[in-house]
Amino acid sequence: MPGLLGPDEVRRVADAALNLPGADGVEVLFMHEWGGLTRFASSSIHQSTHREDTGLRIRVVKEGRIGVAASNDFSPEGALRTAESALEMANVVAPDPLFPGLAPPAPTPDPPAFDEATASTTPEQRADGVAELVAQCPEGFTAAGALETLASEVALANTEGQFCYAPSSQASVTTVVTGGDGGAGFAEVFASATKAFDPAAVGKRAADKAVASRSPRDLDPGRYTVVLEPSAVSTLVGFLAWIGFGGRSLFEGRSCFSGKEGEQVAAPIVSIYDDATADGTLGLPFDFEGVPRSRVDLIDRGVFETAVYDLRTAKQAGKRTTGHALPPPNPEGPFPLNLFMAPGDSSLEDMIASTERGVLVTRFHYTNVVHPVESTITGMTRDGTFLIENGEIAHPVKNFRFTQSIVEALKGTEMVGRDTELASEFFFSASRVPALKVSSFNFSGRSDH
Amino acid sequence: MLDVAKQAMQAARSAGADYADGRVVIDDEESITVRNQEMEGIDRSTSQGLGIRVLVNGYWGFAATARQEPEEIERTARLAVEIAKAASRLPMDPVVLSEVEPVTGTWHSPMQVDPFNVPLEEKVAMLMEATRRMQSIQGLAFGEGGIDLFRRRTFLATSEGTEIEQTTVQSGAGIEATALGDGEMQRRSFPNSFRGHVSAAGWEHILTLGLIEEAERIGTEAVELLSAEECPSEVTTLVLDSGQVELQIHESIGHPVELDRVLGMEEAYAGSSFVRPDDRGRLRYGSPLISITADASLPGGLGSFGWDDEGVPAQRVPIIVDGVFQNFISSRETASVIGQTSSGAMRADGWAHYPLIRMTNISIEPREGSLADIIGDTKDGVFLSTNTSWSIDDKRVNFQFGCEIAWRIEDGRLTTMYRNPNYTGITTEFWGSCDAVGGREDWTLWGTPNCGKGQPDQVARVGHGASPARFRNVQVGVRG
Repeated sequence: MPGLLGPDEVRRVADAALNLPGADGVEVLFMHEWGGLTRFASSSIHQSTHREDTGLRIRVVKEGRIGVAASNDFSPEGALRTAESALEMANVVAPDPLFPGLAPPAPTPDPPAFDEATASTTPEQRADGVAELVAQCPEGFTAAGALETLASEVALANTEGQFCYAPSSQASVTTVVTGGDGGAGFAEVFASATKAFDPAAVGKRAADKAVASRSPRDLDPGRYTVVLEPSAVSTLVGFLAWIGFGGRSLFEGRSCFSGKEGEQVAAPIVSIYDDATADGTLGLPFDFEGVPRSRVDLIDRGVFETAVYDLRTAKQAGKRTTGHALPPPNPEGPFPLNLFMAPGDSSLEDMIASTERGVLVTRFHYTNVVHPVESTITGMTRDGTFLIENGEIAHPVKNFRFTQSIVEALKGTEMVGRDTELASEFFFSASRVPALKVSSFNFSGRSDH
Repeated sequence: MLDVAKQAMQAARSAGADYADGRVVIDDEESITVRNQEMEGIDRSTSQGLGIRVLVNGYWGFAATARQEPEEIERTARLAVEIAKAASRLPMDPVVLSEVEPVTGTWHSPMQVDPFNVPLEEKVAMLMEATRRMQSIQGLAFGEGGIDLFRRRTFLATSEGTEIEQTTVQSGAGIEATALGDGEMQRRSFPNSFRGHVSAAGWEHILTLGLIEEAERIGTEAVELLSAEECPSEVTTLVLDSGQVELQIHESIGHPVELDRVLGMEEAYAGSSFVRPDDRGRLRYGSPLISITADASLPGGLGSFGWDDEGVPAQRVPIIVDGVFQNFISSRETASVIGQTSSGAMRADGWAHYPLIRMTNISIEPREGSLADIIGDTKDGVFLSTNTSWSIDDKRVNFQFGCEIAWRIEDGRLTTMYRNPNYTGITTEFWGSCDAVGGREDWTLWGTPNCGKGQPDQVARVGHGASPARFRNVQVGVRG
């Protein structure tokens, strides 16, 4: 099995690039990742993989001109070649008047615990986990999904003297159970170690929902009160990260929060923050230019406070970096990767019980932006959608298309769940969010299943 | 590098694989982005490694490594076999591979000028000039241009005797103008959105695009959109340009006819399909004007190759003929499930990934007339151009697309400009409502360079030939 290379080995290789002749500054971003993913469908393992890769992404500065090159040749010779390639590019471009300099030396928070057992999980152990999950399917139902174990180490070294290094481990299992007449249920768990999750519990949860969602009925599209489970909420929050919380889009006027600092943009019971260092997420203690990360309150009790910044966009906007740089060159600017929505005081059962007529949504599928400045997105429900009547789940319904402003949904949020889950989104990183009850949500169409 | 692939295959056989393939891939990429005559990013990347795929007692295993020392190759081969053996803990019908003739050969995508050898200064200068011309339009916030170059060298050796070397070079470029004001952001792209028009060709392709020549028009339209009317909400006649027909094909035909989706192998992630295995020759997918072909041999297509990553030769496969569904795109494993041979559609996103069924070049067959002819033949409706947004359900039934710009069609002429246009529909109803497909003169072989699928995530570059087309009774102008 592969193992950690460690900070000393990273320094040894990075030094070959940092000492590049002819450069004013050099930054080396190092990433080493390995892991296995056991993929299953129809309750059998059909694609099972393992991979290991080591990458160097090197940014070179010459008289304010920037070039970037990347390679997976992790050797001093490879690092030097990659740095030379970046310098070649820097030599032919115009200076960047907004270049803020490389990150200065600064201590970074302690990295999350690295779990050796997760990093060295065997194919047999992953297969056993899948078997435990699949065993939860009742007669006539099957499971599809993936159980993955990952390990990585990330480091950043630059000629300003900054060096930071963080190993991490991650385990996840996600499944969709289908069967009966149109029944489908979804569940997932992300954790920093395999010991923290129970594949059987994930399978049971998805299977129960699949059984409950058999024989869905037609329901007319329109505006409904909705109860959104955490997986659905993660879609709203993930898209806000893209079209709302980036510092560059904010000051350029492309964000749904442009010009709204200090304004009430959501119900007072809604707070959203980013914190890579908190428990309950899977984050790095520094960003991809070596700036320490810390908590940033984005929406506090419904008021939009700030976006996130990297060094360049902070200089542009007259702000301080919040430690949210992505790997260079990144024309899109900074982006929050470890979002939280603060919990409230309601249970999912409370939300359903308080709803006279509404729709319970397990999760959304293949969502995309309709109008970024209005934060309007469209997507589908899937894997368990139900009509609520008189405070109880009445019956499953066929999947809806929604076309809805995220900000309007957050303004209409009536209840916030007290339990949070780290929930994935198709296009974005996972967010830790609770369930929400929203007073009015626009289902603009429906499908046949 | 073919030697490394063979070593890997042989090591896997020695470790107990009944079938094995070793695939070495070297990926080189270059990307340049300019905005308002300033460099936003310029980078090059290279990645090299080895993937080993094995069958042991009918179960798959796959392991990949970036290192190629003999002991690492042997370790990775043993791991692939171990993974396959672990998969057998959950019993299933053993995988059977459909037959394919072993082949030895080399293939290179057509190219006149190697884009990686063109001086960076020339590339940057083209984008600088295009963005300068966009910036000359009063009221424009951003003019952006980008160039993307890809080169993939693949070396495949299988235990059935196939030994292949292939090189694919793909080049693309595009420009994008953004106007901002009064809570609106409007964008126009050329020749297409999402990094322009990518083709399996060299620098000569980029020179034909006309980025500089079209820059002012694109900038002007972006600014005009700020004050344009909202696209009305109505059921009407819809005319799409070929760039939007491209994505409509991709999402509502290309993905649903992938046989792995049909068999439930993608159920948990991207979803499955409304199309069933026994729909071949029976399902009316669209109107008689709709004929769709998967062709991996089209010059210039992002889905073109000599052989796929299983060594199956490039093929031309009828998918829909005169509106009736005929064939899936498939792999050796999935084709055998329905008693067929592979359509040759297995491709992996580099060395680190297991090959999946990916679209090749899935194209609509041209019929008659130009875009102008179709508009001229339309009494009332809307014309939508250039995709901005896409969404479709997990079985590929209900879709909604957004475009950058629209115009009213009145008595065969484009009149009022509309902003924020979109449309929604049900896949077979929508294709069934098509009553005009443009001819060869406006048929373009587009590239979709960002098709996502699989776990771990893989991105494929695929091709779609498309003509403009007209659809009746479509809901447009969906609002939140």
